[in-house]
Amino acid sequence: MAKIDLSNISHSYNPNDLNPVYALNPFSMTWENGNRYAILGPSGCGKTTMLNIVSGLVRPSAGRILFDDKDVTDLKTEDRNIAQVFQFPVIYNTMTVYENLAFPLKCRDFSKNKIDERVNSVAETLNLQSFLNSPARKLTADQKQLISLGRGLVREDVAAVLMDEPLTVIDPDLKFRLRRNLKEINEQYKTTLVYVTHDQNEAMTFADNIIVMSEGEVVQTGSPKELFERPNTTFVGYFIGSPAMNLFESEASSGNSVKINNVLIKTHTNLSNLKTKNIKLGIRSEFIKIAQNQNENLVDVNVEKVEDLGNYKLITAKMGNFTIKSKVNRETEIPNQKVKLHIPAEKCCVYEDNKLI
Amino acid sequence: MDKLYIFLKYFFIVVWTVFVVAPFLWALTTSFKDFQSVNGGVTYIPWVDFEPNLEGWKVLIKSPAKGGVDIIEPYFNSMFVTCTASLISIILGTLSAYALSRYTFKAGFVKNNDITFFFISQRIMPPIVLSIPFFLFLSSINLLDSLTGLIVVYIVLLMPIAVWIMVDFFNKVPREIDETALIDGCNPYQAFLKVVLPNSIPGLIVAGMFCIIFGWIDFFFAFILTFTEVQLLPVKIVALNSSVTPWWSLSASALVSVAPLIIVAFIVERYLSKGNLSGAIK
Repeated sequence: MAKIDLSNISHSYNPNDLNPVYALNPFSMTWENGNRYAILGPSGCGKTTMLNIVSGLVRPSAGRILFDDKDVTDLKTEDRNIAQVFQFPVIYNTMTVYENLAFPLKCRDFSKNKIDERVNSVAETLNLQSFLNSPARKLTADQKQLISLGRGLVREDVAAVLMDEPLTVIDPDLKFRLRRNLKEINEQYKTTLVYVTHDQNEAMTFADNIIVMSEGEVVQTGSPKELFERPNTTFVGYFIGSPAMNLFESEASSGNSVKINNVLIKTHTNLSNLKTKNIKLGIRSEFIKIAQNQNENLVDVNVEKVEDLGNYKLITAKMGNFTIKSKVNRETEIPNQKVKLHIPAEKCCVYEDNKLI
Repeated sequence: MDKLYIFLKYFFIVVWTVFVVAPFLWALTTSFKDFQSVNGGVTYIPWVDFEPNLEGWKVLIKSPAKGGVDIIEPYFNSMFVTCTASLISIILGTLSAYALSRYTFKAGFVKNNDITFFFISQRIMPPIVLSIPFFLFLSSINLLDSLTGLIVVYIVLLMPIAVWIMVDFFNKVPREIDETALIDGCNPYQAFLKVVLPNSIPGLIVAGMFCIIFGWIDFFFAFILTFTEVQLLPVKIVALNSSVTPWWSLSASALVSVAPLIIVAFIVERYLSKGNLSGAIK
């Protein structure tokens, strides 16, 4: 267990070329002890590189890594006391399930009793007790992944457990249970868990802190609520949430209002110091409702389709050239074609050059 | 349709079996014949067409002084040379293959693949090209006509096979397994010995089998690099021939010489079919 500091880390896989391509642009970050973090981003954005740097499989081209303020940048993987679970189950084929789980402890010369105790405890958490003596290679893919996970959890003093999309191969049903298990383990043992995923739901339900990445850049770090309500960039707004955030090209008007299709929308953002005209208004479809008795921030739209998605209805409508999406309660009756929608000013995000003002 | 398929399947199996087994049966019956039964027209069935005797076999173990040929010493020489050279080749080959598979080497334009190809290229050359250099090399270090000299040469011949098979095998073992072992607290040597190697037993067996086969059947280098002190089995068998070809003892010695390979094949086949060797990691 440790606090992990990443200070000015950057990485390129071809640092000596004339034009090195950076898989990770310089960033700094602190992972507090005992928290749950999710690294979220599309494929190829540098998530795995970041994990490999922390575990020591990759040495960063620049920057330092500190575990509890101790510099470990040049420490070898095996001396870092870190656990990592990969996307596909990696098991030691020639060993039994018990031997697999005991391996990290054996390598570190734990006593036999201690090994026994830890292996049994982890096996219980992961429901593997009945397989302990079977050869690991005979298990199904998701059971194998449980073993990988178990090897990560078997050391109590581990600095952090890094997981690289660990639940990809696991049934949805078991996935849900495992995520809950991981949360319990984190609460019980105060193990720092870092979870890489490209699935926002997984990230939102698992982590108390989400790190959103795009093209080697850390775009935003924050709680799920922050990411959802105040995305730092249009990328985060687009990437997080289903459907994606509504984004409209707009013009700044006086004070803190913007104009979309000649309709004035008030926001809570001061727009007097704008440098460019490239302004976008972002609003989550969850916050757009059919107007009741509000008298400002109203837009007239033509409803194109209404989808009943079980727990809510999704309205897709046209506002001039723009498409606007709104999530409303299932019970809401949606009048014919023409509807007035209300855009709450406090939920509006204004982006200049795709960055939140 | 199904019946036709089954018929064809068994038809080809039978044809192939006859093709494979016939030479052995031929050698087996011939080994019990005498001069008259071999040269006096076609004979097939023992005790009916000819009277079997053990002369062909007895000659093999009689000492030359008593008119025999004594293949026992060459037999053990062959075994010793083949096994030692195979073992050393497998150890060295596996280590180099692991390095070639996991680490990046670069010397000018020479990279990992070129190094691997260099190993294999040693087997692409016709052996005759190597014979003079080997002869001069062994004579310069006084190892001509000795078991040690043969082992040295056989290592050169067998190691490419081991490297070639094992590089391919290690490339198929996911890197994550080494990385996991490192994360679990092994150093790179332990990761190789405790985790990667046990997972590579199938590859080791295949490589070992090829080394043993190629070592055991080599005639050319054994013939060129030895004279009187040391003789290997293939050379000895060829030396059996004389003005009157002794088909009976040639057949017997041929059978004796393939026997170890047949035994190895049976053991490995048993092991392979048990499914123990499926290298699945995912």
